[in-house]
Amino acid sequence: MRKVLFFDKDKCISCYACVIACKVKNDSVPIPVCPPEAEPYGPDRINIFQYGPVMDGDRVNQFFQPASCRHCADAPCIKNCPESAIYKDTQFNITLVDRTRCIGCQTCLQVCPFGAPAFDEMGKLTLCNMCIDRLKQELKTACEAACPAGAIKTGTDKEISIMQGRKVIEKIGKA
Amino acid sequence: MIIKSTCKSCHGGCGVLITVENGLITYIEGDPDHPNSHGTMCAKGLASIQHVNNPNRLKYPLKRSGKKGEGKWKRISWEEALETVSEKMKAAIAEFGSNAVAIGQGTTRGYTRYTTRFVNSIGSGNRLTPGYVCFLPRVFINKAMFGGRLYSDLHGWGGEYPKTIILWAKQAEWVNDNGELSVNFLRALERAKNLIIVDPRVTALTSRATIWLNPRFGTDAALALGMLNVIINEKLHDHEFVNDWCHGFDQLKTRAKAYPPEKVSKITWIPERKIIQAAQMFARDIPGTIMIGNPVEAQTNATQTLRAIMSLLAITGNIERPGSSVQWIPPPTGNIQVQFGSEIPISAENIKTLTGADKYKLICSGKGGCHPDTLFKELKEGNTKVKVMHLAGSNPLCAYANTRDVLAGMLKLEFLSVADLFMSPTAEYADIVLPVAHWLEMDDIGDMPAGFVVSAVNKAVDPPGEAWPDNKIFNELGNRVAPQYWFKDIEAMLDYQLKKSKITWKQFSKQGYLASTGEEQIYYKHKTDYFRKNRGFNTNTGKIELYSTALKSMGYDPLPYYVEPEESPYSTPELYKEFPLILSTGGRVPYYFHGQYRQIPWLRALQPYPIVQIHPDTAKIHGIENGDWVWIETQRGRIKQKAKLFEGMDPRYVIAQSSWWYPEKKGPLHGVLESNTNVITSNEFFDPATGAPNFRALLCKIYKLGKDK
Repeated sequence: MRKVLFFDKDKCISCYACVIACKVKNDSVPIPVCPPEAEPYGPDRINIFQYGPVMDGDRVNQFFQPASCRHCADAPCIKNCPESAIYKDTQFNITLVDRTRCIGCQTCLQVCPFGAPAFDEMGKLTLCNMCIDRLKQELKTACEAACPAGAIKTGTDKEISIMQGRKVIEKIGKA
Repeated sequence: MIIKSTCKSCHGGCGVLITVENGLITYIEGDPDHPNSHGTMCAKGLASIQHVNNPNRLKYPLKRSGKKGEGKWKRISWEEALETVSEKMKAAIAEFGSNAVAIGQGTTRGYTRYTTRFVNSIGSGNRLTPGYVCFLPRVFINKAMFGGRLYSDLHGWGGEYPKTIILWAKQAEWVNDNGELSVNFLRALERAKNLIIVDPRVTALTSRATIWLNPRFGTDAALALGMLNVIINEKLHDHEFVNDWCHGFDQLKTRAKAYPPEKVSKITWIPERKIIQAAQMFARDIPGTIMIGNPVEAQTNATQTLRAIMSLLAITGNIERPGSSVQWIPPPTGNIQVQFGSEIPISAENIKTLTGADKYKLICSGKGGCHPDTLFKELKEGNTKVKVMHLAGSNPLCAYANTRDVLAGMLKLEFLSVADLFMSPTAEYADIVLPVAHWLEMDDIGDMPAGFVVSAVNKAVDPPGEAWPDNKIFNELGNRVAPQYWFKDIEAMLDYQLKKSKITWKQFSKQGYLASTGEEQIYYKHKTDYFRKNRGFNTNTGKIELYSTALKSMGYDPLPYYVEPEESPYSTPELYKEFPLILSTGGRVPYYFHGQYRQIPWLRALQPYPIVQIHPDTAKIHGIENGDWVWIETQRGRIKQKAKLFEGMDPRYVIAQSSWWYPEKKGPLHGVLESNTNVITSNEFFDPATGAPNFRALLCKIYKLGKDK
């Protein structure tokens, strides 16, 4: 059952709850020293990209796009990794990293169309693992659970597709 | 082991599940069963895991061993610390009276009930709180007009959601409305037909707004009066509701006549058609609600601005109906802030003589504390009665206007004790510093002032060193200074607060929360005897007071009006030539809470330096590029922040972030005079009723660092 982690740019409010929820879940040891005194502070598996605001008369064009690994079905990172350190989980089709194999060559960053690969303080690849342990317990991912805007949804591709379709219909209905 | 608790990283109170293994917190997430937060949590709350074990935490009581601010400390026992603080208080009370002791607090992370009870128990009226520029004006004007605190009905418990939501100077997507959490607002927004945003700049939601009104800073009262004018002129108001339940409609009508949209457009710089459109939309698409933010309170016309905005709710009948603005029926505990916090009366004499009582009668009335700016100015000038000050989680060097005056005043105190998590710039100048436990390290009751829920704050781990929870510190101090009002231990004190619900702390702790939700919430309570006998609202006239008899009796205008800010292109045209930009110090980000959390690595990494928003056109004139450090200068001085070019506002505006200090920089100041906006705010002019200084409409100039003129 292929799972999708969907980020809704029309709902995201750029509050960074998902970014921190992800760190709480995945970065076990908090580094005590703060920036700007010290970097690094752990990789960002989720980034929030802002477009705008661009003003167009009365209209304001602005949105926030959170983004993590897309867990591509035919993933360029997997195909190109020289050490075969990236692989697929068989249950949900999630892209996972074998840290022991990763040599930190960043080939995955070169080939990823989304710039998703992030690297930890050892220089090794870290990716969103879709909180696979939580999915197995039928829990929401850490980011989805924290999001107050309902902008993050995990589901099968069919579920997400229906959710998005319904949203369009409701928008037309309201207008 | 999973422990259920309540986050107190802001005033919100989200339900939390904390995983503890071998005495260490290994995971923290929202509690999906919590009746208010529904499993969601914000960046601040989640990052709490980096508070515990943070190496910079205060761990032991400290006593100053050098000069004030020299940074020389001696570790002492709690016994010695409490004896010293309480003896100083008792001596000051004996010699100068109770008002000689001021008890200060920060932004109500759970300790407000204890600061209030403590200050009342020692008989002093001088409670020092930032409430006069945040939250209290809303509460007091709500009380004067409607008889109680209004909340936006976002929950659908009455079968309807708001059709039109106005966010008035409020980023409800980021901040809680004293317990109304963003998740509930955002869910209601999904169902709403119209979103009207009143904000001078683009926010995270502006692209989703049906109408965006961007008033010039400090002109909100004119906008609200203009909307009242349109609604009344076009007879779009709820005639029956106004007739049955409002007092003073005719007087309001006459007042609003002075604010036709054409004139309001000139004042606010908003196109006339948008003012008319918004007024019509709010009156027609009902039910509707207005969520009001703190910026309108941090202005020198706060009182009348709030009066005008709240009148919009009243004349459109958006009170007590499902999907509008309502007073919640409290949880079975009742309102513990009032029952426990304010139950001990202060003498009339001490209310009359508390600092600011002669001037700012709405707030400094015995319930809202003293006037902080007057207090620090009087201290500086050496003519105050306040000799001893104790602060809980408060950093006046960030919080109050004109930091240099605050510092000069603070240095004149005979004795200052500060209880905090970290060594703040304010704590650096104290005589005694007390280490405080984090909410993850304490047992308490998380309340939502006059709201529908209370939930248990359950201790997950031990505090570091000898840190104590605020409630324990106040109970111990209370037992030394005014023992008749305090308790044998924390459990007895928590039991006492829960007594109305007839359950004990032990039971409550297990149960997690008490709430009045769903069918337990009753609407149209004014049509019953709920607020008062023989129906109506709990006000002087029994009706909603559009014409406020309460304000009139204090000597204020009973009807809302607009006045130009003290510094503006129109009121001070000469000054405007030298300082040609309008400055707001209202910049906020969702992962800091006022002066807090710059020590938390994950949060600091999101934005290491303060950011000032400057329009690209203005930046170009001054040769400023994205990321440049710039000076922001007013008549009072200058501070530096990093420029962020931002198209979503008028080129004449500059929006700086407030409350910045740098924990990593050298004490005692920790950079609190470098980038903190209150260095350049004014403590010269105030709202006549609330005493609010102007934090949102000042005049400034900007220039790049190194380009000093």
